[in-house]
Amino acid sequence: MTKQASEEPLASQHDVDGMEFESRGQWAMVVRRFVHNGQAMTGLVAFALMLLVSGVYTALHPNQYSALSTAFNQGPSAAHIFGTNGIGIDMLAQILKGVLQDLQVAVLVAAMSVVIGTLVGAFAGYYGGKVDNVLMRFVDLVLVIPVLVVLIMLAHIVAQQANNWFYLAIIIGSLSWTYIARLVRAEFLSLRERDFVEAARALGASDWRIISRHMIPNAVGPIIVNATITVAGAIVLESTLSYLGLGIQPPAVSLGLLIEQGQSAATTEYWLFVYPAAFLLMLIVSVFFIGDGLRAALDPRKNRVRS
Amino acid sequence: MFTYVLRRLVQSFIVLLIVMLITFTLPYFEPNGILAPAYIVLGSHISPHAVHVWGVQNGMFHPYYVRFWNYLDQVFIHFNLGVSYKQNLSVWGIISLYVPRTIWLALSSLILTVVIAIPLGIYQASRRNSVVDYVATGTAFILYGIPAFLLGILMLQFFSFSWTHLPAQPPDGVAPWAMFTNPLGFILPVMTLTLLSIAFLSRFMRSAVLEVLVQDYVRTAKAKGCSSRQVLFRHSFRNALGPIVIILGLYLPGLLGGAVVIESVFNYSGLGIQLVTAATSLDVPTVLGITLLVSILTLLGNLLADIMLGIVNPRIRVEGSGR
Repeated sequence: MTKQASEEPLASQHDVDGMEFESRGQWAMVVRRFVHNGQAMTGLVAFALMLLVSGVYTALHPNQYSALSTAFNQGPSAAHIFGTNGIGIDMLAQILKGVLQDLQVAVLVAAMSVVIGTLVGAFAGYYGGKVDNVLMRFVDLVLVIPVLVVLIMLAHIVAQQANNWFYLAIIIGSLSWTYIARLVRAEFLSLRERDFVEAARALGASDWRIISRHMIPNAVGPIIVNATITVAGAIVLESTLSYLGLGIQPPAVSLGLLIEQGQSAATTEYWLFVYPAAFLLMLIVSVFFIGDGLRAALDPRKNRVRS
Repeated sequence: MFTYVLRRLVQSFIVLLIVMLITFTLPYFEPNGILAPAYIVLGSHISPHAVHVWGVQNGMFHPYYVRFWNYLDQVFIHFNLGVSYKQNLSVWGIISLYVPRTIWLALSSLILTVVIAIPLGIYQASRRNSVVDYVATGTAFILYGIPAFLLGILMLQFFSFSWTHLPAQPPDGVAPWAMFTNPLGFILPVMTLTLLSIAFLSRFMRSAVLEVLVQDYVRTAKAKGCSSRQVLFRHSFRNALGPIVIILGLYLPGLLGGAVVIESVFNYSGLGIQLVTAATSLDVPTVLGITLLVSILTLLGNLLADIMLGIVNPRIRVEGSGR
């Protein structure tokens, strides 16, 4: 690169060859890399489509998922494209409601994990020393608590509540923030030594301002990636609990519950099992694809080393 | 090293106490409070008097801290985990009956995983972007996303009902060696558990080896004229082993957790099913006993992982013991 080129302003400009260059911000670059990643876009489109269809359908027919009819155990047809179950409920309505339910739980879990994990990790990494030691021992404790045991015990208690998805999400969320906390701590340990933090401190910024305005924005990439992975993990955990009969309780529906109900009929009334299973798998894999794409888009260097 | 292990053991013990405290406290949040198990043990229509008698018999009316202290005394001084509310067995009896079954399941799949996933990961790393690598990565992606119970059901559908007719359920005798009466029955559950762990471990091994392959000493080894096989196994493999050891240590309790689901799907009565049944029927002593066991295993797994790491990679030992 010549000296002249580096001194030129970064705004839109014409090169000697007539090629047009446009300056891009950091986020525009991330978006660009993400959009050019076929796998990531497949995941995003599939995810958005599922969210859109289930949202619109459930908004238009809010009670369809529990509406009985006399069409018992009907295979897929024009009236019920995914068939009906043993008490005449439309499977499409149930599946779409289940998708929404799973996402509701997963998004709440991810939000909780991000907030708790970021705060704990940020304080531990920023202050270091005793604060770090106490917070990290707490993280160790939460990591060691056998998640499934607590979930089973609490889920049983929570199962009797009316609107139990909310409690379920709170429980899962309060146990799944440890990974993000460790990650944010590691980021903060290196960020804390950087010059811009020193500069902010020299200008008299308060600790909280340095953490929230200067350091968290610089650690936001890994946080977003892991929030996505937390969403996928929460869907897996929620559907597993529902499958075991400890998660979402009827009359509410979730994909795990639908699979449990349709499992015994998988060979005779395949639509009761195949469609919920396919939707669950699509949901999880699409979220994974998005997460993987985000990781590649946010950290292109690592990508180059690896592939 | 000794003081380090000792300190870690003390820390682990404190964590264990807190986990026990949490598990002990959970039943207090039941709708009927601490007396809730009575309605399950004796039936839902029992008289208040019978509930009261049951409560007195089980020491339910002591204050919270006295009950916890009594429990600790019982466990750590008398090595007695108590008696199950629901089954006419001591908790230790239940554990010793079902632990070998779960360990057999977890251990056989762990061995298979290590034997398959580590060479697979190394192969993928050394032949990066080959067809095998792409296929393995894609498969791992889907297996990584699929919930264990769904994979289990699919295995049953394909290998027990449709294509072949492998037995759907492992033999279920209670006697210690009855589980070996029909070894074919173990193929599906062990295969399910193994596939799930391979997806995880091979991806991890691949990236660990890849990270080592770009190091300077690997280039130096190549420049010296080592064959690529020597570079791969002498220089890269040993250095990539560190992360794998940690992962395996941390994975031990995860394998037990996975066993809960696998046992439910394949109806294999092991510790996992006992735990779920005990939790749903509020059999508090059994839940506490199994939780205690799983927590000890988790903590020991973490500790062993750290110690093994020090042996595999001596550079970390100093750092670790200074903690």
